[in-house]
Amino acid sequence: MTPIAINQSLSKMENDKPLSETESIALIQNMIHKAQGAVGDKSFYFLIWGWLVFIAAMSQYCMVKFIPALRDYNGLPWAILMPLGGILSGVHGYRERKKEKVRTYTGDLLKYVSIAFGVSLFIVLFFCSINEGWENAYPMIMMVYGMWLFISGGALKFTPLIVGGIIDWCCSIGSFYVPQSHSIELIPILAFAVFAGYIIPGHMLNAKHKREINEAV
Amino acid sequence: MKPFKELDPVLHSQLRLAVMSVLISVKEAEFSFLKEKTEATAGNLSVQIQKLKEAGYIDVEKKFRDNYPLTICHITPAGVKAFKEYVSAIQDYLGRK
Repeated sequence: MTPIAINQSLSKMENDKPLSETESIALIQNMIHKAQGAVGDKSFYFLIWGWLVFIAAMSQYCMVKFIPALRDYNGLPWAILMPLGGILSGVHGYRERKKEKVRTYTGDLLKYVSIAFGVSLFIVLFFCSINEGWENAYPMIMMVYGMWLFISGGALKFTPLIVGGIIDWCCSIGSFYVPQSHSIELIPILAFAVFAGYIIPGHMLNAKHKREINEAV
Repeated sequence: MKPFKELDPVLHSQLRLAVMSVLISVKEAEFSFLKEKTEATAGNLSVQIQKLKEAGYIDVEKKFRDNYPLTICHITPAGVKAFKEYVSAIQDYLGRK
C-alpha cells in the first residue's frame, strides 16, 4: 500500500481497526516521514545574519576604500546592524517558540549548536579586539562560521549548508595568508564567505521548506 | 523454524501505531500536532492516546500556554522497546512470506 493510500485510509478510519503487516510497515514509514518534516523553516537565521554581515562588511569596505570622509566611521555599519540582527533573531525565536507544536531532536541539537556558535564568536571577537586587533579575528570568525554551517547542514541533511561550511573553511585558510599590510582585503573575503555559506544556502533552504509545504497541501 | 512472534495488540492498530511512529521520531509533540499528522478526530485520538498511556508506552503532560490547555505527549523507554519489538516481529513475518 502506498503512503498516500495509507493516509487516505487513516483519515477515514475512526475505529480501532488492526492492520496487515504490509500496511503496518507502510504506515510507520509514512508517519516517520511526516514527523521528520517537523523541524520547520530554519532558513531565517542564515538569511538574516548572512545579509546583515554581508551589508556591514561591504559598507565598511566601501567606506575605507572609496569614501575617505567616512573612513573614521567604518565600524558604524557593524555597530548598527549586529545589534539589529540580535533583536530580530530574538523576536523571531520568541514567536517560533510560542507556536511550536513539537520538539525534535534535530531542533534541540541546532539550538545547542547556535549557542556554541554565539559563545565562540563572542570569545573570538572580544579577545581579538582587545589583544590583537580585528584583522586577526577574521580568519577565526570564518572558521567558526564554517563549523556552524557544517554541523547545521549535517543535522538538517541539507548539502548546500555543508558545502557552505567547507567554503567558509577555505576562506578562513586563505585569510591566514593575507599579509597584515593588506588586511582590508579580509573584508571582501568575509563578505564572500557569508554570501556563499549563508545567503545562497539560506535561500535554497527556504525554497525547500516552501516546496515541502506545497507538497503537503 | 521458529514460530512467529505475536504482534503487540496495543500497537497493532492503525491510529495507535501512527501515534507511536510520530512520537518515536520526535522528542515530544502536542496533541494538535498528532491530530494534524494522523488526521484523526480529536475524540478518537484522545481514546487511543489514553490506551497507549495505560500501557505505559507514552507519557502525557497537561500544561497551560497563554491560558489555553496544552496536552504534550512523549514516548517512554517501555514504548521505544515495544515499538522496536513490533517492527522486528513485522520484519520477521514479511521476511518469511
